[in-house]
Amino acid sequence: MAATRTASRACEIFTTLEYGPAPESHACALAWLDTQDRHLGHYVNGQWLKPEHRSSVPCQDPITGENLASCLQAQSEDVAAAVEAARASLENWSTQPGAFRAQHLTRLAKAIQKHQRLLWTLESLVTGRAVREVRDRDVPLAQQLLQYHAVQAHTQEEALAGWEPMGVVGLILPPTFPFLDMMWRICPALAVGCTVVVLVPPATPTPLLLAQLAGELAPFPGILNVISGPDSLGPVLAAQPGVQKVAFCGATEEGRALRRTLAGWGPELGLALAAESLLLLTEVADVDSAVEGIVDAAWSDRSPGGLRLLIQEAVWDETMRRLQERMGRLRCGRGLDGAVDMGARGAAARDLAQRYVREAQSQGAQVFQAGSVPSDSPFFPPTLVSDLPPASPCAQAEVPWPLVVASPFRTVKEALAVANGTPRGGSASVWSERLGQALELAYGLQVGTVWINAHGLRDPAVPTGGCKESGSSWHGGQDGLYEYLRPSGTPAWIPYLSKTLNYDAFGLALPSTLPAGPETGPAPPYGLFVGGRFQAPGARSSRPIRDSQGSLHGYVAEGGAKDIRGAVEAAHQAAPGWMSQSPAARAALLWALAAALQRREPNLVSRLERHGVELKVAKVEVELSVKRLRAWGARVQAQGCALQVAELRGPVLQLREPLGVLAIVCPDEWPLLAFVSLLAPALVHGNTVVLVPSGACPIPALEVCQEMATLLPAGLVNVVTGDQDHLTRCLALHQDIQALWYFGSAQGSQFVEWASAGNLKLVWVNRGCPRAWDQEAEGAGPELGRRAARTKALWLPMGD
Amino acid sequence: MSAHQQGTELDLSWISKIQVNKPAVLRRAEQIQARRPVKKEWQAAWLLKAVTCIDLTTLSGDDTASNIQRLCYKAKYPIREDLLKALNMHDKGITTAAVCVYPARVCDAVKALKAAGCDIPVASVATGFPAGQTHLKTRLEEIRLAVEDGATEIDVVINRTLVLTGQWKGSDFIKTSTGKETVNATFPVAIVMLRAIRDFFWKTGNKVGFKPAGGIRSAKDSLVWLSLIKEELGDEWMKPELFRIGASTLLADIERQIYHHVTGRYAAYHDLPMS
Repeated sequence: MAATRTASRACEIFTTLEYGPAPESHACALAWLDTQDRHLGHYVNGQWLKPEHRSSVPCQDPITGENLASCLQAQSEDVAAAVEAARASLENWSTQPGAFRAQHLTRLAKAIQKHQRLLWTLESLVTGRAVREVRDRDVPLAQQLLQYHAVQAHTQEEALAGWEPMGVVGLILPPTFPFLDMMWRICPALAVGCTVVVLVPPATPTPLLLAQLAGELAPFPGILNVISGPDSLGPVLAAQPGVQKVAFCGATEEGRALRRTLAGWGPELGLALAAESLLLLTEVADVDSAVEGIVDAAWSDRSPGGLRLLIQEAVWDETMRRLQERMGRLRCGRGLDGAVDMGARGAAARDLAQRYVREAQSQGAQVFQAGSVPSDSPFFPPTLVSDLPPASPCAQAEVPWPLVVASPFRTVKEALAVANGTPRGGSASVWSERLGQALELAYGLQVGTVWINAHGLRDPAVPTGGCKESGSSWHGGQDGLYEYLRPSGTPAWIPYLSKTLNYDAFGLALPSTLPAGPETGPAPPYGLFVGGRFQAPGARSSRPIRDSQGSLHGYVAEGGAKDIRGAVEAAHQAAPGWMSQSPAARAALLWALAAALQRREPNLVSRLERHGVELKVAKVEVELSVKRLRAWGARVQAQGCALQVAELRGPVLQLREPLGVLAIVCPDEWPLLAFVSLLAPALVHGNTVVLVPSGACPIPALEVCQEMATLLPAGLVNVVTGDQDHLTRCLALHQDIQALWYFGSAQGSQFVEWASAGNLKLVWVNRGCPRAWDQEAEGAGPELGRRAARTKALWLPMGD
Repeated sequence: MSAHQQGTELDLSWISKIQVNKPAVLRRAEQIQARRPVKKEWQAAWLLKAVTCIDLTTLSGDDTASNIQRLCYKAKYPIREDLLKALNMHDKGITTAAVCVYPARVCDAVKALKAAGCDIPVASVATGFPAGQTHLKTRLEEIRLAVEDGATEIDVVINRTLVLTGQWKGSDFIKTSTGKETVNATFPVAIVMLRAIRDFFWKTGNKVGFKPAGGIRSAKDSLVWLSLIKEELGDEWMKPELFRIGASTLLADIERQIYHHVTGRYAAYHDLPMS
């Protein structure tokens, strides 16, 4: 009977030529779940942790709804236990030679290789993603990641001398993520000697399997611990004593909330937010290949997010026709079927997509859906949204999976304006057969990764990250390693939280200042140095600066919110010109400034002396300041590099781009040297700057401004004096400042961290601890250079 | 191939506007091989479809009437009868699409096919195959003679000198290569050709056929070729009128796979008749 049925089927298929199911057996995934009696706990310190009296959630097949296992939900105690395990193994792990850690990572790579079928079937079964993608891409990449980072560990002592592992790393992952996201982060962390606690959402067994594979490789069971629990445990994990770094990936708003919650808690916070990508299609592109790029980006279960598609008007119709035709050939289905393009991602993702589509339609958009999609199912079809009015709310919102939102552009200039007109800056691809045009676009896009005539390529050696609200953390390449390193000798972060700090009131009120008598000695330069000249402050009032004897040294202008606004505007205006200067031109300017400082030495020394600095020390301070300017000028020449990666003919350019407008609040210690030490790296990396000089001793900085007025382009450096807390508040809350370095009080640091959540600007705070600016490591170390620019990876495939 | 292309005015601006990005096409070619596996009875049915698209070919210097006869018999009975029966496909007239021989062997093929009692067309390579570097006059004469002998399809070697100097001509079918080159039918090249066929269809409504030839030896390859056609052009191109595979040893591997599908065992070489 069975044979006849088969036979008649073949006959029918011969006519219809349809595709059939190509199911991948997931028996081994179920067998692995059986080893845990279908009851998953956490994996801590090399063993399963299944505490009693915990609630559990079911882990379901997203397509059939079948219960696969029940998963325990962690509570705070379990988090504490996991962090304790990581802390206990840190000492041993981080002090091993890099070569030893390299061997351990290689062993883990081999363990994954030996059990890869289990890994890919389990991942596809529980996430619903197409098994093809997991099997052919994620699993090999996971092994490559381990191997690449093993090599990095092996050479760590030489290549990363002067840096040490941060310590215990907390990693927080979002509800729908490929296990690869975890690999991208744990590999560098483990390689450099950190130990990790991963908090995964409930019902995600693959990370547990990975932890088990790692844990069974004695003798370091506690280096990777995985607990599953609700996202409310994120702050709990981050606030555990000993956690020095928190890496979070997920939605933008959650990242913002975590940034606010963790203000003052101590650990460094690395955010990787939003998953939307961008594809820019010009009229001189291979449109068919670009359409495949769109499929790669949005409808092949590769990227977790949706796609914004910009099409040059001249090829709009042609592209739409090809795209719609192509969409008709896409296949959705059970992820374990080897012949589907797209699986399902569960109810939450589908509802999100549905909501966006409905809203877009109500705002006037056209929606096109196609593809072979099972109807009685949790699937969402490939969807193309067009004609969305540019100002509608949906056009601003993040595009969810599996949507593509298409809009036209006329010129390259307009394309850049539209593409950069979102708060997100993750990844983008540019499709153009004209090299000059492609590079113009690639350099102009404010994103972390640009692919030319390709989309979604990844390699362990290439840093991947973002800018703007996509967060500033990196994974892969050298940048990925620095995420888990800090300069040797940096004390461990401890909480400096002030629970009484009122964010609404910090620095809000300007203390009134009254005349304090006439100035004695030569009057210092007066005014705010904004836009290349000294200007009167908007408040039209001044603050007295007293010398070490308590007598009046001089009056400086009292800057306020409006002055900050003006300074930031001036800095933005100066930015394009400064960015386009060659490194050599920047260096020449810094050297000229150094020479000017040298000429002004007696003047600067006497200003410092009046503030109680000994003559000898004052001379050293000026001398060192001159040296800093020269040193950074010389260093700037060596920026960026080209990488050669597997599976790509052609280079990947690793560019170092300026952050944009960088605000710096200078410390009171070493008033001149700290000012110069912070200014110099910021300038050479192409940033324009708004500075608040030392509150107690701003006059040496103003003296330098007199030189800058004649030497530097207007607006490149802007110096605003005044009440430090008030100016800090204005800067931290400013949405159009891309980074803020703060060297002041603990409370100020906490406020800056909290307020930076607004536009998720990069922040670097001193947590109230003074720095040894006269020491090479702290005053001019590579850390400053790393913080003063961001990386962009530019993929350039070649072929005739 | 019943109807011939009416043809259109030659518009070279179509060609000059085409952009092909090689690395992207190579990626697509890689993907297409991994994204549409066809299994079980689908595989069997698809393989039979592939059989009906084969131009069963022998292009050897030592071809004689006897091996042409064997080839023609195999074209008529490409899959063992009992295997087809098991699939309930024995009465569907499964034959290869054509036999393809040198002009001098067209007579032998026509005679053998007539003796076997079937109307499988005879295709002949002509016009100075495989280089095409002969005079136009002899090339045309060669075609005329082959047609006289009973060939109904002619695989013309185009004058690549003209192509490389930008002087294109139209065609009913386009073929990846002669099968005698160092590199023959590859997926990236096919993708570019199929996209050109689709664009031409969109512009003129004319369907041009496609024939990959050379190096297609495994049943798995033939499945990928079919899915490539399905993905890039659609179902209407998956028929012998618009798709041919030029191959000689492919059929043997397909028959082996069908044998395995039906019996659950792997065949020995002597289990299946040779062509």
